[in-house]
This record gives sequence, C-alpha cells and structure tokens, in this order.
Amino acid sequence: MLQCIFLLSDSGEVMLEKQLTGHRVDRSICAWFWDQIISQGDSLKLVPVIASPTHYLFQVVREGITFLACTQVEMPPLMAIEFLSRVADVLSDYLGSLNEDLIKDNFVIVYELLDEMIDNGFPLTTEPNILREMIAPPNIVSKVLSVVTGNVSNVSNTLPGATASCVPWRKTDLKHTSNEVYVDLVEEMDAIINRDGTLVKCEIYGEVQVNSHLSGLPDLTLSFANPSILNDARFHPCVRLRPWEANQILSFVPPDGEFKLMSYRVKKLKSTPIYVKPQLSSDSGTCRISVLVGIRNDPGKSIDSITVQFQLPPCILSADLSANHGTVNILADKTCSWSIGRIPKDKAPSMAGTMTLETGLERLNVFPTFQVSFRIMGVALSGLQIDKLDLKNLPSRPYKGFRALTRAGEFEVRS
Amino acid sequence: MAPPAQSQKSSSPSQPSGKGEVSDVKMQLRQLAGSRAPGTDDSKRELFKKVISYMTIGIDVSAVFSEMVMCSATSDIVLKKMCYLYVGNYAKNNPDLALLTINFLQRDCKDEDPMIRGLALRSLCSLRVANLVEYLVGPLGNGLKDGNSYVRMVASIGVLKLYHISASTCMDADFPAMLKHLMLNDKDAQVVANCLTSLQEIWGLEASTSEEAAREREMLLSKAVIYYFLNRIKEFSEWAQCIVLELVAKYVPSDSNEIFDVMNLLEDRLQHANGAVVLATIKVFLQLTLSMTDVHQQVYERIKSPLLTLVSSGSPEQSYAVLSHLHLLVMRAPFIFSSDYKHFYCQYNEPFYVKKLKLEMLTAVANESNTYDIVTELCEYAANVDIPMARESIRAVGKIALQQYDVNAIVDRLLQFLEMEKEHVTAETLVLVKDLLRKYPQWSHDCIAVVGNISSKNVQEPKAKAALIWMLGEYAQDMQDAPYILESLIENWDEEHSAEVRLHLLTAIMKCFLRRPPETQKALGAALAAGLADFHQDVHDRALFYYRLLKYDVSVAERVVNPPKQAVSVFADTQSSEVKDRIFDEFNSLSVVYQKPSYMFTDKEHRGPFAFSEELGNLSIDTDLANDVVPAQRVEENDKDLLLSTSEKEENHGSINNSSAYDAPSYDGSRMVGALQPQQDLVSLDQPPPANTPASLAMDDLFGLGLPVAPSPTPPPLALKLNAKAVLDPNSFQQKWRQLPVAASQEISLNPQGVSALSSPQVLLRHMQGHSIQCIASGGQAPNFKFFFFAQKEDEPSTYLVECVINSAACKAQLKIKADDQSTTQAFSTLFQSVLSEFGLP
Repeated sequence: MLQCIFLLSDSGEVMLEKQLTGHRVDRSICAWFWDQIISQGDSLKLVPVIASPTHYLFQVVREGITFLACTQVEMPPLMAIEFLSRVADVLSDYLGSLNEDLIKDNFVIVYELLDEMIDNGFPLTTEPNILREMIAPPNIVSKVLSVVTGNVSNVSNTLPGATASCVPWRKTDLKHTSNEVYVDLVEEMDAIINRDGTLVKCEIYGEVQVNSHLSGLPDLTLSFANPSILNDARFHPCVRLRPWEANQILSFVPPDGEFKLMSYRVKKLKSTPIYVKPQLSSDSGTCRISVLVGIRNDPGKSIDSITVQFQLPPCILSADLSANHGTVNILADKTCSWSIGRIPKDKAPSMAGTMTLETGLERLNVFPTFQVSFRIMGVALSGLQIDKLDLKNLPSRPYKGFRALTRAGEFEVRS
Repeated sequence: MAPPAQSQKSSSPSQPSGKGEVSDVKMQLRQLAGSRAPGTDDSKRELFKKVISYMTIGIDVSAVFSEMVMCSATSDIVLKKMCYLYVGNYAKNNPDLALLTINFLQRDCKDEDPMIRGLALRSLCSLRVANLVEYLVGPLGNGLKDGNSYVRMVASIGVLKLYHISASTCMDADFPAMLKHLMLNDKDAQVVANCLTSLQEIWGLEASTSEEAAREREMLLSKAVIYYFLNRIKEFSEWAQCIVLELVAKYVPSDSNEIFDVMNLLEDRLQHANGAVVLATIKVFLQLTLSMTDVHQQVYERIKSPLLTLVSSGSPEQSYAVLSHLHLLVMRAPFIFSSDYKHFYCQYNEPFYVKKLKLEMLTAVANESNTYDIVTELCEYAANVDIPMARESIRAVGKIALQQYDVNAIVDRLLQFLEMEKEHVTAETLVLVKDLLRKYPQWSHDCIAVVGNISSKNVQEPKAKAALIWMLGEYAQDMQDAPYILESLIENWDEEHSAEVRLHLLTAIMKCFLRRPPETQKALGAALAAGLADFHQDVHDRALFYYRLLKYDVSVAERVVNPPKQAVSVFADTQSSEVKDRIFDEFNSLSVVYQKPSYMFTDKEHRGPFAFSEELGNLSIDTDLANDVVPAQRVEENDKDLLLSTSEKEENHGSINNSSAYDAPSYDGSRMVGALQPQQDLVSLDQPPPANTPASLAMDDLFGLGLPVAPSPTPPPLALKLNAKAVLDPNSFQQKWRQLPVAASQEISLNPQGVSALSSPQVLLRHMQGHSIQCIASGGQAPNFKFFFFAQKEDEPSTYLVECVINSAACKAQLKIKADDQSTTQAFSTLFQSVLSEFGLP
C-alpha cells in the first residue's frame, strides 16, 4: 500500500504531490531524499528502494523526472516499482513525452490520472485504453472545452460495459473507416565480446508490437514459422494462453492502437552481424589505439547507423584520433564517439590514433569498453518468422502489414 | 518507523509565501462565484488551476477555501475534479470549513452521471474529518448499492477510509457485511478486488478485539473463497491479481491434489507481462510446495526462465527488485541458476546497484563446473574504470575462492591482480590473499613470493595494510625481508593513523621476534615502547600485555602469540539460517530487498494486517526495545536489532547445551582456542576431535561462551517422555508447520558412523521411530536428505515438529523445531539431538 507519490524535477523540486491515505506524508521527505541523491552524485546511482528514517521510498527515474513513492507498511517491492514505471509510461503516452515543463503545464491531467490509477494506495487500473475513456488526453481538452464536458459524461456511461466485458482493454463499439493492422518484430541484440574476439554472451530480446485499427470485436490469430526458438515469452493480457501452450499460436482480441503483444528472449546466439576489433598498445607514456569494424555475418540487408562509442580512461590527458570513414568526436566528458553509418563496399572502416597518458604512468592500466550500436531494417536476427495472421469477425477485408527490425541493445566489446 | 505526527506546515520557509497572489485570486473567485455569464467556467478553470498550482508548489492557499466552495457549483467535470482535489487537501486541517463542502459533495453523490457520483464519493471519503463521519454513512451505503460499478468500486474502498477515520461508525453501519456480500456476488472484478483489500485490512485490525472478525478473517482463507477468486482470476486487473495472489499464498490446501489444482490454474500467470504478477505467482508456488521436496525442486525449474526474463527485460529498477529475489532463491537452491550464470554478467551501462547484485549472484551460483568462466568474467571487471565495481569484483573472486575446493586457478588470478599495480586493486587483493591463506595455508609459498614484492609504501588503506602486516608476521620465516619491512613500518609509527594497523603491527613484530629473534629484537623494543606510549587504549594495553608476557616467560609468549594454527574451514556466515528462512517466508516483500525479516525493520503497528504476527512470539523483545527508540535513529537501531537477536540466539544455544557440555573433557583447552579466535573474527569448526559425540555437539556452541551467558543457571532439562504411538495426519502437520513459529533452529554435526549408515532415508526413519519420533515425509538423494519428523508428549497432546536437512558429505544436519508448547522445546531439542547422534552406533 503506497501512502504518497511525489514527482520531482531533475533539480529536486516537488512538481506534484499526491497523498493517498489518511496518513499524510510530509514533503520534508523529498528534501531528505534529495540529500541522498546529492551524496551519491547522481539520481541513477541511488538504489530504487531505500529506507528513510520514517518511510520506505521507491524511486523510478524516467527522462530526468523522479517518481517517488512512500510507504510505511510491508508490500511487494516489485509491485510499487512496476506501478511507478507504469505511471511514467501512461504520462508519457498522454503528454506525448516526459519532461518538467509538460508535467507542470498539465498537472491537472496528471492529478486526474493518478486519481483513477490508484485509490487509497492500491493500484486500480493502468490500462491506457480504459484511462483514455475516463480522462480525455490534454490536446482535446484544450481544443473543445465545452464539448468535453458532454463527451466525458457520455463516455463514462459506457464504462461499466467495457470493464464488465471480458476484454477490458477494448471499447465495445469501435469504428474505423479503414481497417488495418501492423505487426512489427523489434529485436535488440545484447552481446559481450572479449578482447580476444570470443563471444562471451549473445542474446536477443524481442518484442512483437502491434498497431491495430480494426472495427468491432475482431479475433486475431498470429502464428510463427519457428516458435521453438523462443526461450521465454511474456504476453499482453489480451493473449489467450491455452492456444499458445497447445500449438504456439497467439490468439487474441487486440486493444485499439499500439501495444506490445508479446516479448521474448532468444538465448545463445552464435554470431553477431558485425565485428569490432579494438587494439591498444601503450609504451612510455603514449598509447596507440586502432579499431577495425567490418561485417562478420551478412544479414542480407544493409546495416545502418553504426556507431562505436567509448569512454576514455581518466588517466588519459589527450587523444588524437582519426578515421578513414565516418566522423570521430570527443566530447567534454571524455566520451569518444565514432559514427560510421553504413559500411562502404570498397574499404573496411578503421579508426586510429594516439593518446597521451598522464605523467608518471608508463602503460595504460584500465581498458575502455566499446559500445556499439547499429540497426538493420527488414531482418529479425533471432531468425523468428511470422507465418501468418488470420482475422475473424471483421466487416471488411483489412490491410495487414509486417515489418522487422533489429538493433543493437547492450552490445559491448572489451579491450 | 513512523515519526510522531509532524506539525503540519503547508508552506516550507524556502518557498515564497505568495500572500499577495492568494488575496488576488480570492478577489477574482469571489467575483465569479455568483456569475452565470457565458465563459465563466473558462475563467474559473484558469483560477482553479492557479490555486492548485500554488498548492502544488507548497504555498498555503487554504485562505480561499470558502470562495472555492462557492465556485464549486458547476457542471464542468474538470472543474469539479480540481475542486475536489483542493478540498481533499485542506479539509483535514480546516474541519470547520470542511463542513461547507459537505453539502455540495452530498448533492454530487446523487448526480445522474456515475463518474461524478464516484468522484464526489471519493472526495467525501477523503475529507478525513472525524466529526463529519455522520454525513458519510448515507452516501457510502448508497454507493455500495449503486447500479454503476465505478461508484461501487469507489464506495468499497471508501468503507476502508471510513474505518480509518472512525472504526466504530464503520462497524455500526454494518459495512463489512455489505462488503462481504459484494465481494462474493458483484460481477465487476475491480469491485470484488476492492472489497477484498478493504475487508482484509478491516478484519485484520478488528481480529485482535473481536472474535467474529477473527472468524471472518479465517473465512477469507477458506477453500470456497479462495477457489472463487482463483476461478475469476483472469477477470481481475493485473494489480488486483497481485492482491488475490497474495491471499492465495496464505492458503493451506488440504491435500496434494488441491496443490496441483491451484498450480495448474495459476501456471499461465507466470507469463504475464506484469512482473509483480509473476513474482506473486512464484510466491504462491513456493509456499504451496514447501513441504513437498520433489515438487519444490520442479517449481524452481519452472520459475527459472520467467525470472531470468524479468531480470533482463525490465528497467534497472525492476531488475533490482527481481535480482534481490533471485538472490534469496539462489541461497536456498544454488543449483537452479548454475547453468544460467551468463545472465548475471554485468553490462557496462547498468547502474551500480544492479551490478552489485549481479556480482552477488555470480558468487552464489559458482560451482565446480562454471567457476572458471565466472572468475574469468570477474577478472574483466577488476580492470574496470569504475573503482567501486573493481573492488566488488575482486571481493567476489575472493568469496568464490573461499567457497571452492579447487582454488588453483583462482589463486593465480588473484596474484595477477597484484601485478596490475593499481592501488585499489592491490589493496582489495591483499585482504583476500590474507583470508585465503588462513583457509589454504598450502598456497603460502606462491602467495608469499608475490606479496614479498609489494612495497608497503604503495599500500595505504588500513585494511590492506593490516593484511600485509599480518602476512609479514605470520610468514616471517619465509619472507627474507620481513623483519626489515616491519622495522621500517615501526619507524613511522607516529604517522600511522589507524589503530587497527598499529595493533597488527604489534602482533606481527611479536611473531617475527619469536621466529627470528636476533634480527627483530631492536624493532620489537621500539614497537613496544611506541605501543606503551600510544594514546589508543587497545594498542597501549596490547603492548603492555606483550611486554609482561615476554618478561614472564618467552615460551609462554610463544604459546600465546604463535600457537600452531588450524586452517579455517568455514568462515562465519553473517546471517543465521533462521533469519534467511524468515525472509523466505516473506518472499515478494520488502524484507527481501533489505535482506532482513520484516520484524527487524517495520513497526508493529505498520505491519500489514496479515503480517506474520503469530510467528513473532519468541522474538518480539527486539521490536519492543526498538519501539522506544527515537525514529531518527531507527535505521541504525535496526542493525543493532540484528546483532541483538543473534547474540540472544547464541545465548540460548549456549544454555541449551551447557548441561551436556560440562562433562566434555576438552572443555578448557578448546575454550582457550575459542577465546583467541574472535579477535580474527573467524569461527573454526575443525577443532581437535573430542572423545565422544555429545561433546562435539557442545563444541559448536563454544563460541556462545565468548558472549555473556545468562546469569541465572540453566534449569536442568525436564525429563521428556514421548508418546510411542503418536499420530498426526499430513494435513494437520502442514497446517501446524505453517502456523507455528520456529522455536529452535540449529546446525549440528553428525557422527561419521551415522552418516555412513544413512544409505537411504528409510534406515533413519526406523531408528527414529524406535525412539518415538515419527516421520511424516522424507526425500532427497545422497548427499542431501530432508526429513519432516513429529513427536507428541506422552501425557498431553502437545506436538513437536522437526524439519531436518542432512548433508551426509559434510556430516551436518540442520534442525528446525516447532512446538505447541514452547517451554519444552529445549528439552525436546536435546532429546532429538541425542537420538540422532545415536544413529549408526552399534
């Protein structure tokens, strides 16, 4: 049971305070909390669950905004953290994105949302589709003020119908002029590669994202050509789990709009699409560095937006780096970023240069980790393939669209 | 940890008082109050917004209360919401003004729009003014019967709010009974869930005074109610599912079929997108199968992959909460993640708190098959730019080394760390090498060779310096330069700020002197002189002690300072297994994150209505003590609680076995050893083998003697007679096992003959049966066996329950005893142990 929720700006200012129970949490807790953050130096370094002298605090940081919840009673910590993350998701969905100004400008909406999302400290609903029916998103409010009043009361009359039905995530009578549904496979590759080039760990985290604009109560079935490669899958509440367990078929009545139908993991992949080979050698106060990048395993589609980024060790005074392709930037915080884009056909991109070590240091004794990012359109690197999508209960033939995308997640190469 | 209610001050001094603005707004509101002109609502909106934003930044705007109420007559729902928000915020401190709002709120409660009815009711319940409750009863009663589920949903939580304002009003109006009816009949799942939360809390709080409420609370856990919830679980929102699952975790099924039914019903919850649901489901699974050893193992297998996905797919905050739970699981069942160790490899960008938990996981899952990979990975982190991370990884390598049998490769890696020539790496490594040498003296030659090359000037951290000095003293024989290094350190005595280092220096120079007197004599003299002049009491006393010891007899000094040492086999665990079990019972709660059971950190009054209060009987002293402490000191006090409770436990241990310890022949000698060792904070179990087994039981408890023993002499154990024909069916066993607190929990050693006779569980069962101790369940394969025993007193129906986990490889048994009659636990425990120790003897 949460007792209070605060929203703090990135300077520690209280932007919003929502008391949830009879026990009133004094604002001074935020000052205490901010002192802790300052002593840690960074809000991201503070543990998500901490004990203050008076309360237990849960904190989730999104886009510089801290969502802080207080309680004095024992409760499942993940429930509080999940709830706060969900609040952040809903707010950024309602406001378009998250930042200090947006929240300050729309604090009435935020209060309204919190009011419906949690009562007396117990979360009620965080389903965006349901909330949307109760509280109009900000742009509509400002546009048609007087209409909203009428609308809201009309809509709320349909509310019991939607919540009592077996599909609480969907309005009962949706109408779209053009019926269309898009299914995207979005995958992230997480990999760790050691300095000798061995693949320590390589796995894919993937999501099936659906954008549905379908009228009525459509019933969809989605099947994969090779579902056996999935290691563990999690589903949106709309997915019926029996057909999945029996035949690995996703059967569901979709919510309207965009949602995450399913997330999955594919472990123990054997190879990465590109290689990054850093080499560092140091001698008598200077360090020579060279980084080679190339295609290891051609995915069949072009690999875009390749960048290699690394943090220069603190013992390095200056660095002179240049590349035969792309641009190299060294930022003020000693982050070096080499953006390559696409790998050209005629040459292998390489970056080389020298770095000066601080005086008294002969050889480099810390080695940077290179973080690589890339994206490949049109391919799901896990190999997962959609077999077919069937739609039932539809008045007209819908348009179906499929896409796939793989990008680097936490892709790191050690040196 | 509740502070005394703080004086309410709406504006903090640092923020502007905004007096001018407030009176400005007040004027404008007044003008608008009566106006019916078109566009009034728009201007009201702007003004209300201003008021709320002042309120949000902490300016006290309670002065415009009456104007706000006057303006509240509107049909605009957004305006109403802002008004409700404002009223809810200030009503509590302005009860007189709050009365003004009652009228319009009551009117809104009858509005034809269900949204407005619900919102008004919610605000009415949130006023929380005690003398206004009479106005609340009517609307709440209507709300519970409202045709619209939104209103009923608000009303069902409203009852709980009313209960907290005035419990008697709530009970008199018979609201709990209405809630119960709604809970069991309403077709809207959210209403049902809200009724459940309200009822749990109300009946939980009432249960202590009213028998009826206690009965009703039991009713929530009856088979019919639980099945009702389980069958509807898919209708509930994800959060309501968490609440239902929490309830189901407390349910005790009557037989194993039922357990499987429940698990089948809930299995698909493990694939829910909400991590909180997944974790709550896992808790149900673990609790249900607690006494079914085989199924429990299967459950571990089943939950593994959902948990790993939770770790890697969520935000860092979510990963943190999940990892804390994984850590708890891996402590109970290290094998479950041993092949998935790569999941715990740290990513460069993760926050430190996640990395730290991952390191703990890597340490915990390390076994013979994966140690090489894990240590290789940890060595990568040691070279990390991030210094705290590097330190933690080196410590992790050390922990793995201390828990493994084959440390060959690890020692090499550690020694490589020393060659990295980074100060923090060297410092951490030195501390570890010292611990390693205490456990594996056979590595001394390799280590000494490397350690000898380290210049003491490069080591500044006190802990590392102390470790280096300890090694110089201990291996003075093998390190050519030892006396001279020590001598140079003594020359800089005055610059050494850490008392710990100076203490070590004294001891090291003593050891060195006893081995190589001619080279060290001068340095020893200097050290003793410096020590005697030291302002630090301990340093001074130790110097004086050594001085007198040497004066008295050098050979005695040799025996005291430099006795032959046994290698340390097990380093003392910081957390007792009982505490770990308690945390496990509280799976999916804050206890897991803090790695302490909740009685150690939550106030009694704040423990949930279903908190394990009945289990606290034997430990409640701690919380009582803690309750008297000023809140601000609480956080530290909790640590002391931990110490207090363990030391109390040790005392108990001591007294349990004192009676049998007195006739142990090696009593005095081993006490000496025991007294020397706490100084090095280690606990050695490998002491000279005593002549008979009862004495070896006593050995375990000798450390207890180092602590103050209870002044009153221990009463002799009551002669306990057990009923030879005791009966207890498995269900009542399970029920009792859940309800009773752990009365005693300890680890005992078994005699080797017994262990070798333990070819299968059945042999032991027959032996125990011969002594009127019955077995109700057993399982496992060599080397791990698990038994559940029970026994009854001869003349009364008082039952003892025992969980006994035997590891035949280590010749150890872990006992957990629960008893109806707590006062005779000790007697029973002694009896049980003696019966167990007779096993296998001819």
